[in-house]
Amino acid sequence: MSDLDALEPDDLDGHSIDELADYLDAGMQPPDPSIDGSPACQNALAAILRVRHASLGSLEAAARDEAPADESWIGGVLANISLESRSGRDVPLRPQSESERPVMTEGAIRSLIRRTGDGVPGVLVARCRLDGDVTELAAPIRVVVEVAIVSGPSIVATADLVRTGVAQALAEQTDLLVEAVDVVVRDLLEPDPDTDTDTDTDTEETR
Amino acid sequence: MHHQSLAELDDTVLAGRSSDGDVRAFEVLIRRYTPLLRAYARRTLGSTDELDDVVQETFITAWDRLDRLDDHAKVKSWLMRILSRKCLDRIRARRFHDDVTELEVAAAAADAPDRVAEARSREEAAETALAELPEAQRRCWIMKEVLEYSYDDIAAELDLPPSTVRGLLSRARKNMIRLMEGWR
Repeated sequence: MSDLDALEPDDLDGHSIDELADYLDAGMQPPDPSIDGSPACQNALAAILRVRHASLGSLEAAARDEAPADESWIGGVLANISLESRSGRDVPLRPQSESERPVMTEGAIRSLIRRTGDGVPGVLVARCRLDGDVTELAAPIRVVVEVAIVSGPSIVATADLVRTGVAQALAEQTDLLVEAVDVVVRDLLEPDPDTDTDTDTDTEETR
Repeated sequence: MHHQSLAELDDTVLAGRSSDGDVRAFEVLIRRYTPLLRAYARRTLGSTDELDDVVQETFITAWDRLDRLDDHAKVKSWLMRILSRKCLDRIRARRFHDDVTELEVAAAAADAPDRVAEARSREEAAETALAELPEAQRRCWIMKEVLEYSYDDIAAELDLPPSTVRGLLSRARKNMIRLMEGWR
């Protein structure tokens, strides 16, 4: 029988197995010489770590045995999510007549920014943010676009394409008064070995 | 080209886009984590026809609450926590007259150490050992070691005194160590 059948304080130089687990949880801080210097405790700490890792690993292994998500089931999930819950603030557009109060949702504007940014080769938009009171017509705002960019020599030029593209799209399709478009590179993507530069057809114009 | 590369993005970017309302990014997260969530639900609820539903509800709730996720890199453990709550709700509903958190004292089956020892991998050994734990111990163990809940969070979630949770985890820990020691 191994030493580890003995998991009581008498066998662990006076420490309980639970104290040892708490000690691990605390990052073994502050150092406790009566644990650090005890071979029995070190043995037990290693055993706790082993079962922890195995418990995590067993779930990942079980996940590998599960079938991939079924396509029609995914369709069902997507059909059940509520787009409204992510649509953000209502952003007014300039009315064409007295009685009109046209608005565009913040979500739709973000979507426009994403499409525009994604349309620049080598760019995927991460997040975008409209800073300022967009609910007030013609209130000045700043747009922050966080992007992931394929690494390479032309990162600055690529970020510039995003900046001008987004500014132009917003000028054409919204009535926002954009003071600045800040492009923040959050992430570098590995260059795709077989990059084909076919373009997306996500660019339909709406008037 | 761009549609394909969404699947290459890390969780942080995908969760950010999802939070901004990008359904396609959310779809990538659904594909990525459905097997893990199903495995977790199967372990918690057994192999029932409820698995699809409970995972679907998890994603719907997650979508609605994405703006409350502070650290987008943690979307995986966040999804697991949402799922774990939904599973507990189901268990409560399934046996409302039963105490979900009953203190089971049944010892592991006599041949359990042998079956753990025969496992072909450490993961399979852990799976076998976990299956031998009484249910309340297993539930606490998974919440602590897989979902990284604190003792107090587990107690709140299971509506138990923290001292009871500590006791259950203590027994689960000893059982797991003893069962796993047989596997080499």
